[in-house]
Amino acid sequence: MKHSAPQIPRRDPATVMRLSRLGSLHQSRLSFMRILMRRMAADGWTVTRPVFDIDNTGVGRAVYTANGPDGAYSLVAFAHDLPDALRSDRVIAEAWDATFALFDGVPTTADLDRLAANVPLQEAGRVSERELTLSRANRSVRLWAHVVGALAEGRQPDPAQIDDVGYLMRTTAVYGSGKFGAADRAMIADRPAMQAPFQAEMLSVYLIRTFVRDLVNHMARSKGGAQAVDLDPDLARRLGIGNSTGLGMAPFIVNHPVLFNNWIMAREEALARVRGVQRPTRAQLDRFMNLLARSARGLATWRSAHPIQVEKLAALRGDLDRLTARLGAAALDCDYPWDALVRWSETELSQEGQEMLVSLVLEPHGDLVDGLADCMADPISDHLAIDGSATVADTLSEARNLFGWAETIDWSDPSATARAWYVSEEKLEPRLGERFEEPIADYEQPLAPARDGVALIRCLEAWPGDTSVADLLLAHPEHRASLRRVQLARFAPYGEIRDNTLAADMRPIDMLRAKLSFFGATQFDPRSDRWVRICMYAGAPYPEDLTDMSADDWVYPA
Amino acid sequence: MNLSLNETRAMARKATRGAGYGWGLADEAGRAVEGLCAMGLDGCEALADLLTDAGAHRSAPVIDGTVWRAEDGPLCPLQTGLALLDRCAALDLAATPIALQRVACPLLIVPFVADMSRLLKVAVRIDAGGGHITILGPGAATLSDLPQVPSDLCIALSTRAASPRKLASRAHPDPAAWAVLNALAHRTYAPATEASRQAGAGAGLTDND
Repeated sequence: MKHSAPQIPRRDPATVMRLSRLGSLHQSRLSFMRILMRRMAADGWTVTRPVFDIDNTGVGRAVYTANGPDGAYSLVAFAHDLPDALRSDRVIAEAWDATFALFDGVPTTADLDRLAANVPLQEAGRVSERELTLSRANRSVRLWAHVVGALAEGRQPDPAQIDDVGYLMRTTAVYGSGKFGAADRAMIADRPAMQAPFQAEMLSVYLIRTFVRDLVNHMARSKGGAQAVDLDPDLARRLGIGNSTGLGMAPFIVNHPVLFNNWIMAREEALARVRGVQRPTRAQLDRFMNLLARSARGLATWRSAHPIQVEKLAALRGDLDRLTARLGAAALDCDYPWDALVRWSETELSQEGQEMLVSLVLEPHGDLVDGLADCMADPISDHLAIDGSATVADTLSEARNLFGWAETIDWSDPSATARAWYVSEEKLEPRLGERFEEPIADYEQPLAPARDGVALIRCLEAWPGDTSVADLLLAHPEHRASLRRVQLARFAPYGEIRDNTLAADMRPIDMLRAKLSFFGATQFDPRSDRWVRICMYAGAPYPEDLTDMSADDWVYPA
Repeated sequence: MNLSLNETRAMARKATRGAGYGWGLADEAGRAVEGLCAMGLDGCEALADLLTDAGAHRSAPVIDGTVWRAEDGPLCPLQTGLALLDRCAALDLAATPIALQRVACPLLIVPFVADMSRLLKVAVRIDAGGGHITILGPGAATLSDLPQVPSDLCIALSTRAASPRKLASRAHPDPAAWAVLNALAHRTYAPATEASRQAGAGAGLTDND
């Protein structure tokens, strides 16, 4: 480690937690799929395929078992023959091209039969405490047909078409944490491999990617017989797994303020540490330049037709040009060069560019950054009680620190509360509606901390300052959730989005992207202001190629 | 039934909201029911009893020294439990036990008292009369049957330690109680409309690409 400069603080939550910035975050060393890949490589995980029982029409089952020091985890995959008319990425879908569960251990035939009766039904089935995740995926119809067709005829698919879509299948939900009968997170949270957030989900998706590669080869052989060829390993590696995501992710980051804080704070702490590096080594500087160039290649294949993202991508391309020009002028030949570069970016680059730079400067400094992965889970907030002895006066001060920015919003203006978050009775699909145009206000979910925080401030103002909040809450239980959030902010300063989540111009995709970036997603492609497709694990080594080297920087195209 | 604890918590939260409580209290009800289920007790059944006891379950305590009572009807165990927890640092349970008059669904007090014992790092007892004494924590529980009808409860420091108790990882609620909670939870879901289906999720028109 080089000299640290303790005077460089973490960035202010008031800056970091704006929706426009959260909606510009990029994957980093602290993304959950990169944490998983590093661990699997370091611990020498192996993956076997004890079952691959898929017929010539592509229907059947397969099992992929990942063996690590904690034990084994098995992806149980069911492949289906789905008519096009039933293919939908939405929660309201009832059939999929493939369905999956992650089994804790190695399943017996009886386990597989039990899962075969339930997993294909997804939400309408039940899994057990032996399962850690439940998920499903749909084909990219056009790329699937192209790849199977080419391989069946004995030739490789067109790389341009592979890059254009990026994946053969996209997941449309990966449920964990006790959903639909699966094991609670508490049952696995103390295992080293599962300690960081979403590791079971990330392992599921990683194994799904391997299954999909094997399935496409199998289907090509079924179709083409002896003339068929396997997908070239280099092309296979370019393929990720897609994900198609709607509003379900947005409530998550509001409902888990401590967990979300821990993600953001880990990244901000990593940035502060790296900015404090006085003189990076030549190797570290070279590493940065190398990954910057490779980022530009990744950007070249990042496609979106959505006007919002088109504009952001244009800005990001300009940012990369400016950054490259800046670096050509010996910008790193100084003390604390990362700090200087980050400061420069704050006035010269768009938020997309600023946040990509943040992710990039972390890359050469795994020694300062990677250990923070251990701080990203939230083992405590379930057990925290409200401090009822706090006074109204102190609480008012804390509440203004957290929600004071929202006092400037005119909450009586309909545009300030134009939206309402709700859950439809149709398969409990999360949705967003127009409060003043649709009959949904009675069903509103509590996803407006800013509005509710201002209401708490107004209530606190009306009480004597020396009253305890225990007394206030006895009279006003409706402020309990807001008051809890105010107290959580004592140690979780990045837990609260600093924007109005009900505003007429609010974009849920910003919330989705914040979460997905921490998963490690790339290629954000919004389909609307509340739906986004992404890619996961594109460029990652398959299990047989996983090494410490390949596990580290796969996300940047070689 | 064989449910994850997370499922009991999520269902309890929605059912409590569906029964008309605010989301903040609903969050706490979810936590409480999960805590009961982890102790091997049917928190779902207790909550279903509370939420279907129409009109009689909403009373927050009026705190009159060490005697806590309702203005009318029995005390709400959620609000009473939270009031105990919120002021537990200020209570002197060693010197002055708290008398709770007519608490509805007394079992629902248990997780809040368990939290108190954890925060205060002492064992706390719930005396329901008739020799029914429940002792909580920290991290342990000696359980006795609590009455299902509204009952006077005395909360005091316990001189006896609670028995170590392994937490359950699954819940097995009464199916009828689960159905009651499910029906209440359903009240939080917006009715299906074509406009909502078309616009609410914001998905594209086709996924066959």
